[in-house]
Amino acid sequence: MNKRRLGDVLVALLLVIWVAPMIWLVSTSLKSERNVMTDHLSLFSAPLTVENYEKAFGTTEIGLWLRNSTIVSVVSTAITLVIDAMIAYAIARIPFRGRESLFIFVLAGMMVPFEALIIQLYLEFNALGLINTLTAAILPRLAMPIGVFILVQFFKGIPVALEEAAYIDGAGRWRIFTSVIIPNGKSALVTVMILSFINAWNDFLWPLVVASDSAKYTITVGIANFQGTHGTEYSLIMAGALVASLPLIALFLAFRDQIVKGIAMTGMKD
Amino acid sequence: MRHSHNARDAMLFSMPFLVVYAAFLVIPIFYGLYLSFFDWNILAGKRFIGFQNFADAFRDEKFIAALLHTCQFVLISTPATIIVGFLMSLIVMSASRLGKAAETVFFMPYILSITVIGTLWSWIFQGNFGILNQLLAACGLKTVGWLTDPNVAMWSISGATVWWTAGFNMILFTAGMKQIPDDVYEAAKLDGAGYLTVLTKITMPLLRDTSILVLILQIIASFKVFGQSYVMTGGGPYGSTRVLVQYIYETGFSYFRMGYASAMSILLFLIILLISVFQLVATRGEK
Repeated sequence: MNKRRLGDVLVALLLVIWVAPMIWLVSTSLKSERNVMTDHLSLFSAPLTVENYEKAFGTTEIGLWLRNSTIVSVVSTAITLVIDAMIAYAIARIPFRGRESLFIFVLAGMMVPFEALIIQLYLEFNALGLINTLTAAILPRLAMPIGVFILVQFFKGIPVALEEAAYIDGAGRWRIFTSVIIPNGKSALVTVMILSFINAWNDFLWPLVVASDSAKYTITVGIANFQGTHGTEYSLIMAGALVASLPLIALFLAFRDQIVKGIAMTGMKD
Repeated sequence: MRHSHNARDAMLFSMPFLVVYAAFLVIPIFYGLYLSFFDWNILAGKRFIGFQNFADAFRDEKFIAALLHTCQFVLISTPATIIVGFLMSLIVMSASRLGKAAETVFFMPYILSITVIGTLWSWIFQGNFGILNQLLAACGLKTVGWLTDPNVAMWSISGATVWWTAGFNMILFTAGMKQIPDDVYEAAKLDGAGYLTVLTKITMPLLRDTSILVLILQIIASFKVFGQSYVMTGGGPYGSTRVLVQYIYETGFSYFRMGYASAMSILLFLIILLISVFQLVATRGEK
């Protein structure tokens, strides 16, 4: 049928448009500098080379930027998990006056565009003497309202009987939190962990504002800066871009379903 | 639970989050509001000028231009990402053979950082050696100044953005489609409805709520655009892709006019707040 054929062509077209740039990224990164300029159209022109990767690690600060991004992402994800889980436990499981208002107060943070806060945050960190430090890159993103939202929904579903059994055994709130809520909330915590890590790793504007010295760049800022410093060395730039993406691609392939579920649940877009 | 210290415990558990939240979100909002009433070059002194910064903004050609460029980006990229995202979810839901693989491929770009997307597409759009112009030349066609022609650059940036984020909309549409009960489709099939009829009479109307959510999220994200143009064009050519956030960034960190930059941040905040409130009202009105 003709309509069927049209649909197939559309599917093929979309798939090609989405796959081709990724292949182009890999292919360019494996070409020598000269081949990039001469063999424009060939996908994998011999001889393939890893010289761009050697050059990226040998002559640029990309190793340092990867280290900075890892520190920033791991530390901020860990702290986000702890503080988000704690307040989510309070909102989901402790009856107290004002818990609804507290929840709304936290969720309202999702409406605040971070982009509208960079001037004030810069001045704040300047006053604290923290400009050009990794600490400054970490702090503003720690409180993650969307994480609280996910965790509150999930914690509400944990059976009260589990909590009461622990209570009868003489457990206090902290023990209940660490030995009942955390183990039972693992899947939601993993979702928040991944979303937080992706956010931190991909954050661009704030690290750009706060890092003045290239030794303090995160990988996103470093890669953006490549274009300024390595203008037309496209194979080197593509190698750097690929290296910058590998941790996230690995994370994505490992936790694909949780990432998709987390996004479908929250409509998180940043 | 029969605890006697509910209020105290709730406060203790909430405290760490609230301290960070207050320090880096609540206080900056009010600090920004305060700053917006001052003429403050960071190298000189602070002077109270009331609403002058806001009045200046609407007489500032560069601000108006940045606002227009941002609106242009919103108007191009929003429909494109939504339509493409919707088509993707139709593919994911129908073609069982490659549905899962297609979903992975379509979604993959979204987890990459904007600087990776920006550098990759700068290379694809590159005027002399870029693959797009090379392909055009090989077909005997005229090459295009994808990022160097002021009439084209914003379209190119939008195109790269569609590639980056359409997969996100696909996830939301797919989630919405999965909630439509199978028997609705079976009933339609029994009535002899064709694919297009089912699509327009069943799938699309039942996805109304999802579509509103996608639309609002997309508009908000588009108003906050920065990384794409910063990496791909630096706001050029001739300032034709300089957007609001970039102008705020430059006003603050290149010209050190902190009061004026704060006032423009407040305006950006208000635009996004307005859209969010619109969403709240729109969705509440239904229930």
